[in-house]
Amino acid sequence: MIELQNVSRLYRSDEIETTALHNINLTIRQGEFVAIMGPSGCGKSTLLNTLGTIDRPTSGAYLFNGVDLARLSEAKLAQHRARHLGFIFQSFNLVDDLTIYENIELGLLYRQGQKGSRRQAIETAMDRVGIAHRARHFPHQLSGGQQQRAAIARAIVGNPDLILADEPTGNLDTENGAQVMDILKGLNASGATIIMVTHSPSHADQASRRVDILDGQLVASVAQML
Amino acid sequence: MLRSIFIAFWRSFTRHPLYGGLNLLGLSLGIAVFIALSLLVRFETGYESWSPERAKIYTVGTRYFFPGMTDEVRIGAMGGLTEELKASYPQLVTVRDWSNPVTVHKGSEVYAEQIELVDPEFFTFFGVPMREGDAASALNDPGSVVISEEKARKYFGTADAVGKTLTLSDAEGRKPYVVSAVMRDLPKNADLKLGLMRRITPQRTAMEPDTWHHWGSVQLMAFLKFNDPAEARALQAQMDAFTDRQVGDSFGPGTKGSSLMKLVLVPLADMHLIDPKQKAAIVTLGLVGVVALGLALINYVNLATARAGLRAREVAVRKTLGARPSALRLQFLGEALLTLLVAFIVGLSLVELTLPLINAAGGLSLALDYMKDGVWLAGLLGVVVLAGLVAALYPAFALSAFKPAQVLASSRTPAGGRLGMRLREGLVILQFAAVVMAFTLMLGFIKQIEHIQSADLGFKRDGLLLVNSIRDVNINAAQREGFQAAVRALSNVTAVTLANAIPGDQSNVNNSNIVLPGQRDKLTESPTVNWSVVGPGYFELIGIKLLAGRYFDPRFAEDQTWVGSHAESDPKRVTNIIVSRLAVQRLGFKTPQAAVGQTARFADHTVRIVGVVEDARFYHPSEPIPAKLYMFDAHVSYNPVGFVRYAGVSESVMRERLRKVWRQIAPDVPFEVTSAYENLDKYYKPERDRSNLFGVGAGVAALIGCIGLYGMAAFNTSRRAREIGLRKVLGASRGQVVRLLTLQFLRPVLIASVIAWPLAWLALGQWLSQFDDAIGISPLFFLIATAAALAIALGTVGGLALSSASTEPGKALRHQ
Repeated sequence: MIELQNVSRLYRSDEIETTALHNINLTIRQGEFVAIMGPSGCGKSTLLNTLGTIDRPTSGAYLFNGVDLARLSEAKLAQHRARHLGFIFQSFNLVDDLTIYENIELGLLYRQGQKGSRRQAIETAMDRVGIAHRARHFPHQLSGGQQQRAAIARAIVGNPDLILADEPTGNLDTENGAQVMDILKGLNASGATIIMVTHSPSHADQASRRVDILDGQLVASVAQML
Repeated sequence: MLRSIFIAFWRSFTRHPLYGGLNLLGLSLGIAVFIALSLLVRFETGYESWSPERAKIYTVGTRYFFPGMTDEVRIGAMGGLTEELKASYPQLVTVRDWSNPVTVHKGSEVYAEQIELVDPEFFTFFGVPMREGDAASALNDPGSVVISEEKARKYFGTADAVGKTLTLSDAEGRKPYVVSAVMRDLPKNADLKLGLMRRITPQRTAMEPDTWHHWGSVQLMAFLKFNDPAEARALQAQMDAFTDRQVGDSFGPGTKGSSLMKLVLVPLADMHLIDPKQKAAIVTLGLVGVVALGLALINYVNLATARAGLRAREVAVRKTLGARPSALRLQFLGEALLTLLVAFIVGLSLVELTLPLINAAGGLSLALDYMKDGVWLAGLLGVVVLAGLVAALYPAFALSAFKPAQVLASSRTPAGGRLGMRLREGLVILQFAAVVMAFTLMLGFIKQIEHIQSADLGFKRDGLLLVNSIRDVNINAAQREGFQAAVRALSNVTAVTLANAIPGDQSNVNNSNIVLPGQRDKLTESPTVNWSVVGPGYFELIGIKLLAGRYFDPRFAEDQTWVGSHAESDPKRVTNIIVSRLAVQRLGFKTPQAAVGQTARFADHTVRIVGVVEDARFYHPSEPIPAKLYMFDAHVSYNPVGFVRYAGVSESVMRERLRKVWRQIAPDVPFEVTSAYENLDKYYKPERDRSNLFGVGAGVAALIGCIGLYGMAAFNTSRRAREIGLRKVLGASRGQVVRLLTLQFLRPVLIASVIAWPLAWLALGQWLSQFDDAIGISPLFFLIATAAALAIALGTVGGLALSSASTEPGKALRHQ
């Protein structure tokens, strides 16, 4: 499904050049649940952003179902994200001024050719993460765990092919973290491909494969027995 | 998408009331000023639009080129002009409008009115809207009168007045006239005051043998109609030749008519603003409206880009979810459009609410009529929306350009980059430059208006009443003398006389040239003087100082003028005159004393200067004081007005006493009296009104500037909350923090002043140059304006800074 070929990402400022990713080669198949691990600043989030097409590789190719995304225009990439991807962030990134319902609706707003009832899809997504009773609330009225569940609902409302989760449990307590992991595993079990950056070895252990990154380089990719 | 735009717009008010409120208030105020001043411009440029023929009609204006006189276009023409024009160009379609005083009799009551003597084709020529009666034939009968609905209600208590009789007395005597038609009342923006109208009769024109075909006189308004502007241009091109032909030698042998006067065809639409000063004033007020809208849009851009930082995360999330930049721009422009629409409605409501105040401040009668003005308002809305969307392009592009990966990785709020900061500071500078400029101009306006209202005019205007009814055609010499004698006997009256040298009255102005012995008697070379006839004790009464020689004295037979007496004058007789200081200069005498005793030729008579008096400013402060020649008449009969000087009693009491005297002497003639103050105030009032309007515009502009500054300061202070907390942890005092936050906003005000000063200096200089009697530009205007702007900025930002500096550091550090 996904193939990164010699992907590198350099950041240049006036005086410093930083290599965030260095010659990454990675293949991810449909239905996999991949955990990316590594210390702070090693390039995990850059890799996830690159996979999510909100950051472009400086060199190398990024094939998604055989299409090289590195060559697509901004507009095409936006279309790609709307149609195929779902994002979950550590700090939830819900829009403060929108209700939970409206935040989840954002996940459908930019999809071209979206037909049928949005309401149906939003209600289904809310039911799947157990947040339906909070639909009319604003994010600041919810607990961290509830906010993250709402963010997950937004990520899955459009039935994306790939869910990218950047430390989805990083801001949550153990109980809420466990709930979020259960939801992700459930989504994976029902066919979604998930790539998750995490600092938590116990959460990483729940993925089907673990990829380790150090100083922008891929150092290990290990399939795990569940 | 539409729903998303509505939600974002709505939440900007419910979730960020300060930002939403400031944004909407600033925009609404700017739009309100724009709408109000557009109304004013439309009113002022819409004079005579009641006539469906306006585009085809031209009026005749005259420019004179006499030495010592200004050469602006004066609307009006010689009485017989259209007759002479038609003799040369028979195809011309013309009508005349000759305003005359008239007395209306209703039972024993008498009313002073103005009647328009017109050609019978006047109504069809202009397409005057009629309520009743036939426009084409209404004035076929010289015994008919056409009146407006207002006059019909005044004299008959109903607008249905056709067939009723109105008794009028004017130069043709007292006669009954039958109302043959009733006109609709014209709108307020009409220079043609059509109330009572009668046909011009040969009997009436025959009463003007001296002036009717006298080139150089201006008696009435002549109108011409052309189907094509090219025809008007063609006639205009022939006007000099026509003038030369018709004037012949009447300006002196060998003097071409066109070298002294030019006839100008003025489109009816341009007639009202023919005076370039008036036009400039209206253009300036229109510009104030545009500037106010501009300032409000600057605010919008400023607040929107400042808030863009706060919305960066939202933009990043939307982009991550697949929003294309174009979709985001559409979203932000949609929000801007909604804001503009709501602001327009609020602005319009503000105008509706404040229109009575604006009308009072500006001496106007502006009104909004949604049925009639729908298209015009839609046009204004279009301008506002278009300008607003152009202004909103920058924040829309700036917002949609945020890189999601960077924004999501950072815990800080992006400030829109260095460019954004610079832009915002630049816009605040621009706003405050406008505010400082407006304040400086305001100070200049106020000082100049104060000056013209209190300046020494060369005569005493306090305690001076002018009895205009003395010059009514039905008042005879015995009544004039009787009135003077009776008034002189009233207590508190210190002096009474008659004269036609009247402060604030230009209804009868005479100019002729004066020639010293040995000089060529040529109108193009010898100086022009403005001449008047005055009665005994005039100079002492009005308070014009004697510089040399003596005042007039009835004991000297040679002081008596020939003017006004129809008896043949003796060509060898020398008549004594008094001239003004300016006339002495124009005649080339070194001192007033040197002029006394000198003789000259004036109006085919020999005159001798027996006195020189100080110049007196009787007319508009922008008009140069004319060189003046006074003649004496012991019983002034040439257009005289009664001058009454009184002391020790209120004006209203004195007016009432005069009215009683008048009632006994001339019960059939309406009593009309004005004070010198009132007469002069008509020159000052337009300046005062416009200054008031400008003041309102400038005040609102300053308010918009404050709103913008407050918004910026609020945004900045909130962004720097953490930094302020840290500074306080490190030991900064409250005062130091307040200084830090306020000084940042004083810099743009100071830079703005540096930009505004030279511009204000130029603009004020330009405005003052229209006044003959102008104040000097004081450096204090600039300093006070800047100090006021600084005080406003400090007041706006200071409160915020103080509250931010008083926040506990722990709370501030938790802020982000």
